[in-house]
Amino acid sequence: MTAPLSETGVLGPLGVLLAAPLIGFAFGWFLERGGLGSARKLAGQFYLADLTVFKVLFSALLTAMLGAFWLDRLGLLDLSLVYLPETFVLPQALGGALFGAGFLVAGLCPGTSCVAAAAGRIDGVGVMGGMLLGIAAFNGVFNWISGFYESTPLGAVTLTDLAGVSRGVGVAVVTAVALAGFAIVTRIERARG
Amino acid sequence: MSRVHSTLVIAAAILGLAAAGQDLRTGAAATKLTSEIDAAGGYISAPDLADRIVRGDSGLRVLDLRSRAEYDQLHIAGASHIAFEDLAHAVPEDATVVLYADGGSAAARAWMLLHTRGHRRVLVLREGLYEWIGRVLEPRLASDATAAERAAFARAAETSRFFGGIPLTGVPRADVATGYWTGIDRSGHQPAGMSKRAIASIRRRGC
Repeated sequence: MTAPLSETGVLGPLGVLLAAPLIGFAFGWFLERGGLGSARKLAGQFYLADLTVFKVLFSALLTAMLGAFWLDRLGLLDLSLVYLPETFVLPQALGGALFGAGFLVAGLCPGTSCVAAAAGRIDGVGVMGGMLLGIAAFNGVFNWISGFYESTPLGAVTLTDLAGVSRGVGVAVVTAVALAGFAIVTRIERARG
Repeated sequence: MSRVHSTLVIAAAILGLAAAGQDLRTGAAATKLTSEIDAAGGYISAPDLADRIVRGDSGLRVLDLRSRAEYDQLHIAGASHIAFEDLAHAVPEDATVVLYADGGSAAARAWMLLHTRGHRRVLVLREGLYEWIGRVLEPRLASDATAAERAAFARAAETSRFFGGIPLTGVPRADVATGYWTGIDRSGHQPAGMSKRAIASIRRRGC
């Protein structure tokens, strides 16, 4: 059996429909268990007061990257069939800055706002409402900004494509950076008691 | 740090380092194979292959080593699909065989298999279908092209149209790889004649 299961036809349309809520539920469950349903904890990241977000997200990134790389090399996953989103430099940089500002103000991002709302937190419901309003507003003005939205395209490019190194070397570098990051974060937390 | 954390950190470090080691080892083996094929004159460029097809070379068999689905989606005109495991007993003795896949490595392994079985009239399309798209179907002329490049492009555009391709003009210089019109750039590992952005756009189209 080779993954991705939907692309290789192992999971039919019904299987995909059933898998999606299960994965979504598991994602929300682990976010909540990791403490990421709390706006205080998330905002603490920006002031270096609480670095849980960094640790959770980098652990997930490292696990997914090493898992995907080795599953591909062991023939259990065909990485060429995995969807790669396209890169548009300027619009995504601006979108990232806007996202970060919203994250800082609200203390929640889209996923964690759902988790907070599901856990009964009123701020989570507020952020979800704001997010839906933002989506509607974006759709309303899309025709005006579509030129910028599709500007500076790089295609479906990866870090290793850009750096001109092999995928394995990229994996090793990101692993080293993440582990160094964990070490630094642990020191900061210790210094702050 | 707890014992569980230490174990996870060590496991991540080992898997990360092993990833680089694995790639470097396969990379070295691939380089050795490439040199061997080069030394035996076993490579053909996409424009040379296109010329032979246009001329109607009857002694030429082009074999596509990718999956049947990929072949059905797009293949070189006149090419036949063949599975790697069927190669050994399906290659004609009396024809010159050109092998290609997505990039160059699968075809290079197939060349080695046939070579060790005594087939001598076997050629590899160096960068496979990527090179075919980038140099034959979609030849690209930089916006600041020289007169020599324009003349070469005029010939390439004619061949491109023969195969139903679309010649591209006014392409940013950064999107035209070094050595595009002067020969194959062997310095990097990116497909000949194509920039990384062009490769990414092909990947996006799903060829």
